[in-house]
Amino acid sequence: MSGAPLLAVEDLTLHYATRAGEVCAVDGVSLTIEKGQALGLVGESGCGKSSLALALLRLQPDNAQILSGKVLLDGVDLVSLSDEAMRAYRWNRIAMVFQSAMNALDPVYRVGDQIIEALEQHVPSARKQLIERVQELYDLVNLDHSFIARYPHEYSGGMKQRAIIAMALACEPDLIIADEPTTALDVIVQDHILREFGNIRRELNMSMLYISHDMAVIAEVSDVVAVMYAGKIVEYGTAEEVFTRPIHPYTQALMSAFPSVTGEKHELATLGGEPPNPLGLPPGCHFHPRCPFATDICAEQEPPTVRRGEHWADCWNPPEEQGDD
Amino acid sequence: MASYLLSRTIQILLTLFAFICIVFFLVNAQPGDISNVYAMNPELPPDARERLQSQFGLNQPLWQQFLVYVKNVFTGSFGLSFSHYPRSVADVIAERLPRTVALFFTATVFSFYLGFMLGKIIAWKRGGWTEYATTLGGVTLYTVFTPWFALMMIWLFAFKAGWFPIGKFLDPVLWREAPIEANTLFGRMMLTALALSIVVFAVFLATTRLRISGARLIQLGSLVVAVGVMIGIWRATGTGNLAWDIIKHMVLPVLTLTLISFAGTMLLTRNSMLETMREDFVLAARAKGLPEKAVRDKHVARNALLPVVTSLVFSLAFAIDGGVIIESVFSWPGMGQTLVAAAIAEDLPLAVGAFVFVGIFVLLAHLAVDVIYVFLDPRIRY
Repeated sequence: MSGAPLLAVEDLTLHYATRAGEVCAVDGVSLTIEKGQALGLVGESGCGKSSLALALLRLQPDNAQILSGKVLLDGVDLVSLSDEAMRAYRWNRIAMVFQSAMNALDPVYRVGDQIIEALEQHVPSARKQLIERVQELYDLVNLDHSFIARYPHEYSGGMKQRAIIAMALACEPDLIIADEPTTALDVIVQDHILREFGNIRRELNMSMLYISHDMAVIAEVSDVVAVMYAGKIVEYGTAEEVFTRPIHPYTQALMSAFPSVTGEKHELATLGGEPPNPLGLPPGCHFHPRCPFATDICAEQEPPTVRRGEHWADCWNPPEEQGDD
Repeated sequence: MASYLLSRTIQILLTLFAFICIVFFLVNAQPGDISNVYAMNPELPPDARERLQSQFGLNQPLWQQFLVYVKNVFTGSFGLSFSHYPRSVADVIAERLPRTVALFFTATVFSFYLGFMLGKIIAWKRGGWTEYATTLGGVTLYTVFTPWFALMMIWLFAFKAGWFPIGKFLDPVLWREAPIEANTLFGRMMLTALALSIVVFAVFLATTRLRISGARLIQLGSLVVAVGVMIGIWRATGTGNLAWDIIKHMVLPVLTLTLISFAGTMLLTRNSMLETMREDFVLAARAKGLPEKAVRDKHVARNALLPVVTSLVFSLAFAIDGGVIIESVFSWPGMGQTLVAAAIAEDLPLAVGAFVFVGIFVLLAHLAVDVIYVFLDPRIRY
């Protein structure tokens, strides 16, 4: 962790204009990713993690607006760039592995041509060299060369995911955003792909923002973990710190909802209640209606930040330091 | 693919046979026959009427008439036309069909091109005033009372401005000493149009596939050269002025037809585009940093094209039917007018023949759509 970070998101706020009213999907989020680092962003569905990911590429839907904040990539603020200048950053500097890899490939073009399309946009060269590059990428993700000239419907789910990863690696971006890339795959394929993807990423020294609701996956791939709830980051720290000594009650609840293979057998805890309605967020700490440790003040004032070294969380009632679980 | 085509051909023949049966009995179910037209004529003796009936075989039982008719269809003559006696139905249709096809095919192609382009744009800029203005204008023209609108077009552009002839498909004075039949010329004009579109399509395909820089310029240049060469050939044959005469007669009806029908394609394209725009691969195309125009044309419009092509091919099939209203207003001697005249004159073989021709074209269009889909959508394989 030396020098300026590769990506610094500063106080980013994104609103959706919906028929029912304004929805604040991303509420003053700040985070940094160092060169070569993997940040895991975890949270329930609808907490704003995908909105955040799209906002980094300025691909938020038409009814969404970035109200304030900066997205600094190597010191350049992407939020204030012109559309034309922004296009040069997409894929070339920040690539994305989509949530639904199944549908991220255009059904009417050959997969190889879709990868070449991205290459031509940013690193144009002769067609022969482009095809060689695609072959390299296919080797990297363990796909057979004969599939370069095939159409997406001829690929299996796992192969599509590999092809999507190959496409994301094509321009050797500095940062890859992976938005729940393996959710549609079965666990064994998922595990294989995650492992290979992790190895490639470390070899090429790329940074990654990995988004998931699955704590187990996040634990496997991340160096640093950010926990998101109702548009805010509520806990942030190294993966080891967050998983062994979680501060925020929400993080604790997420962790106890996952089974441990090696640990003692016990009934899985469930987190009561529902994710908050984004149109009418509870005042104070947004988590207080579902929090087992909530006190009166939680419903009245925004929680303070509790810092334990690099590891922090926003909570009124953090557990004692040096707690066992 | 080959076995698929074979089974489809058999299917088409069976459907066609069923279609012929239905049309034949439906048309014959109406009361009266060709002799009714003369029934009111006091100078026609009763036995002459009977002779007329027996001459055309109308006194035979219907099932026998049907067998004769089926034989006529499969030997290609489609029977004798009563009102154009002794010409066969196939002969009459062969004379009228090219005129209708030239007019309605051209208009259908124009209206689909215009509709697809506009639909693409209004889907992309949805919510803006351009969308409302275009939709309102298109739907107004789509729903306007056609005879009134056609007459207004004639009044404005042919009568007031005098830019185009008022009706008919050629100028009789000019054609009096013409060395060539109008239909032969029609055939040549259509071959020219076909050759032209093949050249343009080939150049377009070659320039996009080979990724030559300045593709736009080459495409435009080749179009100009091809058109120039065609005009040169027509001039050299000395029939250029006759062809030009027919084209002048076609402009107004084609324009009218295009204006009253493009909105259908436009709205279909728009809806198809809006559906495709929600797909993840469109988001992926943007994330790849492609320019908006490439995202729109290469990914969204390309995928939105499928239902539009289906609709186009069917419209082309029905184009041979002509339009009774448009053909009447523009005095265009095509299939629509033939059908109406045949029905009024109780010329049942000609009426049935005209319907059967439409049926044949529609069945062939179905087959064509299936084949075109293989090229448009790689997921479809037979």
